[in-house]
Amino acid sequence: MADTAAPPQVAAPAGPGINPLARKLNKILETRLDNDKEMLEALKALSTFFVENSLRTRRNLRGDIERRSLAINEEFVHIFKQVKEELESINEDVQAMSSCCEDMSSRLKAAKEQTQDLIVKTTKLQAENQRLEMKAQVADAFIAKFQLTPDEMNLLRGTKDEPITEDFFKALGRVKQIHDDVKILLRTNQQRAGLEIMEQMALLQETSYERLYRWTQNECRTLTQESCDISPVLAQAMEALQDRPVLYKYTLDEFGTARRSAVVRGFIDALTRGGLGGTPRPIEMHSHDPLRYVGDMLAWLHQATASEKEHLEAMLKLVTIQGVEENIQEVVGHITEGVCRPLKVRIEQVIVAEPGAVLLYKISNLLKFYHHTISGIVGNSAATLLTTIEEMHLLSKKIFFNSLSLHASKLMDKVELPPPDLGPSSALNQTLNLLREVLASHDSSVVPLDARQADFVQVLSCVLDPLLQMCTMSASNLGTADMATFMVNSLYMMKTTLALFEFTDKRLEMLQFQIEAHLDTLINEQASYVLTRAGLSYIYNSVQQHKPEQGPLSNLPSLDSVSLKVAMAQFDRYLSAPDSLLMSQLNFLLSATVKEQIIKQSTELVCRAYSEIYAAVMDPSNKYKDPETILHRSPHQVQALLS
Amino acid sequence: MAKRMDIGESALTDEDSATMATAPYNYSYIFKYIIIGDMGVGKSCLLHQFTEKKFMADCPHTIGVEFGTRIIEVSGQKIKLQIWDTAGQERFRAVTRSYYRGAAGALMVYDITRRSTYNHLSSWLTDARNLTNPNTVIILIGNKADLEAQRDVTYEEAKQFAEENGLLFLEASAKTGENVEDAFLEAAKKIYQNIQDGSLDLNAAESGVQHKPSAPQGGRLTSEPQPQREGCGC
Repeated sequence: MADTAAPPQVAAPAGPGINPLARKLNKILETRLDNDKEMLEALKALSTFFVENSLRTRRNLRGDIERRSLAINEEFVHIFKQVKEELESINEDVQAMSSCCEDMSSRLKAAKEQTQDLIVKTTKLQAENQRLEMKAQVADAFIAKFQLTPDEMNLLRGTKDEPITEDFFKALGRVKQIHDDVKILLRTNQQRAGLEIMEQMALLQETSYERLYRWTQNECRTLTQESCDISPVLAQAMEALQDRPVLYKYTLDEFGTARRSAVVRGFIDALTRGGLGGTPRPIEMHSHDPLRYVGDMLAWLHQATASEKEHLEAMLKLVTIQGVEENIQEVVGHITEGVCRPLKVRIEQVIVAEPGAVLLYKISNLLKFYHHTISGIVGNSAATLLTTIEEMHLLSKKIFFNSLSLHASKLMDKVELPPPDLGPSSALNQTLNLLREVLASHDSSVVPLDARQADFVQVLSCVLDPLLQMCTMSASNLGTADMATFMVNSLYMMKTTLALFEFTDKRLEMLQFQIEAHLDTLINEQASYVLTRAGLSYIYNSVQQHKPEQGPLSNLPSLDSVSLKVAMAQFDRYLSAPDSLLMSQLNFLLSATVKEQIIKQSTELVCRAYSEIYAAVMDPSNKYKDPETILHRSPHQVQALLS
Repeated sequence: MAKRMDIGESALTDEDSATMATAPYNYSYIFKYIIIGDMGVGKSCLLHQFTEKKFMADCPHTIGVEFGTRIIEVSGQKIKLQIWDTAGQERFRAVTRSYYRGAAGALMVYDITRRSTYNHLSSWLTDARNLTNPNTVIILIGNKADLEAQRDVTYEEAKQFAEENGLLFLEASAKTGENVEDAFLEAAKKIYQNIQDGSLDLNAAESGVQHKPSAPQGGRLTSEPQPQREGCGC
């Protein structure tokens, strides 16, 4: 190595001679030391211990290096020995672990074998658990469906003083629902549960209905004010109670009783107290005016009845069972029963005091009207109020007809002579006035038409028949003409009175017939009056009775032409002034038409008599000489003169 | 709420009884009304229009009296009107006079197309004044206002008559329903006002008004301002 460090001049003489030394030298010279890192490292390392460059050291260098190398290797061996030992200890550890693991694994296996059973059990238990949970849910649902919550229970059982609320009805509805639903259970295997729940619900229902009933009963008992407020809860209570017909009915009875006393009090107040400060005045203040008194009482009752029906309708508006309308009518009947006595006593007083036929009749009609009106509200059920009104109606009608009959029998008791003017007697006028008033009040009454007709017939026969008898009797002592005139006048009065009213056609016909009968009498009387006064009476009779075998008429006594001429002179005077020969009675006739009719028809009779006489005189077989000189007027001329 | 009061009670019973239970319809007062006037002026039709909201074309003559009810609202108070419709025919006068007793309101009706019905008003008014109490509110109603072409009584004339006699006045038509609602409401408002003034004594029997102290809102009666227009909600 020292060679390499030789100065570069050594190399210069290297010539062309190629020998191993040269090659070696070249090789060394060509070595680029700068690039040989290994060499550099080696040199660096060498520089650390080769500090003194001397022959000795140079000679020992190789030994030094070898020694150094040896030391290093020894050190290396030493260190690796340690490593080896370490590795061996690790190996041991690993082995220990391995055995440990094996042990554990075997133990685990054992444990696994042991727990296998447990796991199976656990799984089973879990399944069981799930099933039970499911069951619990079902049971909860079941309870929710078939049992009440404690709150609901409390609502239903409640205490006596607790008010009934909306929720109560919900709970009650639930109980009913459950009771119905339970029937499904009875069809399944759960009959026992079904039966038990059913029983429980039935019991609960009873308790709650009982409670509801007590509450409702109390509510009703408080409704004794004149104004009556039906709360919605009460209406609901009635809706619920309709399922228990007995309780429902008892409640209605309770309500009826409470309202009944309220109505009685209201009625008595209206009768005796009126409003505060006197307006409106108490109804009894008008007791001097029977019609108003009775009318006011009945109108008050009509209004009260309508109000009570409204209350009931409000109370039962939710009830759906059959026969609600009947229930309402029945209860209204019960409510209005209380006022019947005070009403009856008062109306009876009015009737029995006999305020006169006309007033009685008006009261009777009024009662009938209210019977009709109130029955429109309470229906035709046997409401006592209606019965009372009907009774009073019949009583008033009876007293009315009694009073009419009494009047009639008084007429018959003292039959007066007809007045000198042969007009209607005062008794007749008086009775007709009464009749007129009765019929007029009837006409203006509020009773339906058909009901009126029956009354009419009775009134007419009650008054008119005795009246006719009385007239006939009082006329019986008169002469024919007087009697006929009087009768015509009386009948005419009756007829004109009746003609103003309906339902009198039959009676009018009968009266007309009687008038005509008496008219005939008067016509005949008048005709014979004229003939007698004109001296034709005897002649006419003879002419009528003459038979041909008696020989000519002119031979009969007083029928010679001279006597006829005298009579004709008298007849001529009549023809010139026909009015001079009127019966005095005719002037008493009330009806001008009737008088005209009598004059007209009697004149016709006279004309007919004249024409018969004329025909007989003109007949040649009767042997009058120059008959035209005896009767110088033809029947036509006579008729023309008289008409 | 506004809907509720628009329905007559009779309609309620069959219409929505379910909602009735939940919405209490309790009323604070009952006012009694009478309707008077000549025959054929349309008294029954007015009542029918008011309670049923329908026009009754062939209305038969009223026999005696008939009645109807409806609940209305005045100043937030529910009021039940009990209305007695009287017959106009003369022959029923004796009967109908008994119904004036204790009326809180009287509707005096004439027919604007028939002057005679207007001319008879004074006799109706005399009856009404004599037979009711001094606080009874009387409202004059000229009915058949739809028949403008046949008008026989002018609005001004009737208005003057009403003013001279201290009556409320409206022209209405039972046929079209015009002002019918108002006729009943105006009278109710006036009566309610009288109650608040204290001029109508509720404690008096037969004042024609019944108060229900148990009803809700009864207490705030005095705090209400007087002439309320909006209260009726129609």
